Amino acid sequence: MDISRKRSALMVLIAFLWLGITALGMLKLFLPAMILGVVLMFVHMFLGVARKGVVSKAFLVYPLLAWGVLWGASFILSKHYSDAFAGQMPAFTILGLHPSFAWTVLTYWIGGMLTLTVGFMFLRSEWLSDKDWDEFLATIASGKEGA
Amino acid sequence: MEKTLIIGFSVAMIVASFLIGWWAKRKVTSNKAFFGSTGMFGPLAVGLSSTAAVASAFALVGVPGIIYATGNPMTFWMLSSAAFTMAYIILGKKVRAMAEIGEVASLGDISDLRFNNNRLIKALLSVVIFLGCIAYLSAQIKAGSELFAHLLGWEPIVAAFVIFGILTVYTAISGEVGGLLTQAFQGLVMVVAGVIMIVSFYAMTGGFGNVMQAVGSLKEAVGGDVTKPLGPDFLNAWGRLPGTISMVWMLIPILGTIGQPQVLTRMYALKNPKEMPKLSLYAALSHAIVGFFAVVVAYGVLYLVATGKVNPLAVADRAIFVFADEAGFIAQLFVYAAVLAAAMSSASLFLSICAGIISRDLPSALGMKIPENRQITASRITMFAIGIISIFFSIYRGDMVAILGTFGWGTLMSATFPVFIIGLLWDRANEAGVMTGMIASLGLNLLSLTSFKWPGGMPGYFYIIAIAVSLTIFVSLMTKEQKLNKKLQAVIDL
Repeated sequence: MDISRKRSALMVLIAFLWLGITALGMLKLFLPAMILGVVLMFVHMFLGVARKGVVSKAFLVYPLLAWGVLWGASFILSKHYSDAFAGQMPAFTILGLHPSFAWTVLTYWIGGMLTLTVGFMFLRSEWLSDKDWDEFLATIASGKEGA
Repeated sequence: MEKTLIIGFSVAMIVASFLIGWWAKRKVTSNKAFFGSTGMFGPLAVGLSSTAAVASAFALVGVPGIIYATGNPMTFWMLSSAAFTMAYIILGKKVRAMAEIGEVASLGDISDLRFNNNRLIKALLSVVIFLGCIAYLSAQIKAGSELFAHLLGWEPIVAAFVIFGILTVYTAISGEVGGLLTQAFQGLVMVVAGVIMIVSFYAMTGGFGNVMQAVGSLKEAVGGDVTKPLGPDFLNAWGRLPGTISMVWMLIPILGTIGQPQVLTRMYALKNPKEMPKLSLYAALSHAIVGFFAVVVAYGVLYLVATGKVNPLAVADRAIFVFADEAGFIAQLFVYAAVLAAAMSSASLFLSICAGIISRDLPSALGMKIPENRQITASRITMFAIGIISIFFSIYRGDMVAILGTFGWGTLMSATFPVFIIGLLWDRANEAGVMTGMIASLGLNLLSLTSFKWPGGMPGYFYIIAIAVSLTIFVSLMTKEQKLNKKLQAVIDL
């Protein structure tokens, strides 16, 4: 996916996301703000993984989109169960945790960390291959434009 | 006898740190090594060092206290282990690549390379990073000194000079080389302590289910003139604080990790950039253990209070020590060592960064050039001066330390995001845009020291970051595009 001509648009999106999240936070709409926060982080990673303006579709799907879905679901489920059991003992626990907090542990913490880290390990050549690095070194050594 | 062993164990850790720092001075063969340990270390050392430098005394003392007091919002901050991998995905190859196109020994050097040696940008960056780092340094000295003064029965100033005086010496001797290695060792201490605390938690409580039952079934716990609110909602995801705080405490540490000097500087310390995924694994796993350590300590104390085994805490920050007292001797041994390790690892890094700013980056930004063969000496002298001044400041001006406490993680983000995150992801980011973002960052951070209150109930640093980043982007777009040289373009395209 070629984003070489879209970097500026993505940066403008980043600016609007920061401002939007701030506005939502001021309005106490924390769940939409958290979801937009996931989008903000996703856009940063999207830009970071690009090589000469091209984003690997494989890396985009996993780990990036997988992580985004996991975190979005995490916040939504946390909110759902905190509302469902507000003011009372929850009818069940998940691994002994309040069903609202369990998603913080399972999907936000463990799921998010493993998805990004394992994905980064297995698809590292989609982020920076040996060829990419060697070409980069050759470019700066010769002072010419890379092929 | 037990107290003697606890003290001895912690002293052994300080001595080991000093010996590592002393040994490391043989590896200081250049300015680049002293100031940045650029391209010198493998992923395990860098990963442990990153975790130790990020997880300060606040992580082990303050975080359990906050979770104990307010519930789970702070777990978003402390269980942010994914943040390291995210940081390396976003910026890792670009920061590391900058070290290939020019001499990089500090963040100021990267700013120079990216923005045509723009002195104003470098000066603003240096001032804001200095404010954030000196705040962190002071807080570590205060926390570590008070803890050990209490343990040893000494005056805090004496404890401060012994612990942080030794730290200043080995950091000055071996710079970032010794700094990184000692931080890696201290990170290992924290990880081992974390494993022991996690096991202790399960042995003490029988697991999270019992904590949930004890805390959720009680409206409050009363004892020793203290009433501790509990109840079933206390352990939901949002605790006793507004949901907006959870949002802030999620976004700022996760995305903000990439803007912390201790993470950025470690990116260019990695010898082989292709090992960055492995680095992310070591950093994420070690941070996960330390993060979980902080969470289970809070849960353990909540259980003890809810079941009446201890009185509700008058001071929430005592949580980790109450936990250790109940968990037994081995736990106490490692808790004190871990808190000391957390304070020392962060302190050494911030001391090193502050000294580098004062002795190298800021003079260069102001047009003063210290000869290369004198820079290390200048930095060592500066380090001693900052170390000594910080010790006195932290002990005798606790009020100022508390005020400076508003500078920290968020402040550092407001400085580093325009220059590094926007600057290295986007070739259109220009000097005008970044200068505008940085001026806004500094001005608004100073405004936060006054009685000005930001509207909307969020911490001031959130607004400052949003404003600084947005201004950087919009002003860059509205002003003349700056052509990048081929090497810099190659970094951004990497």
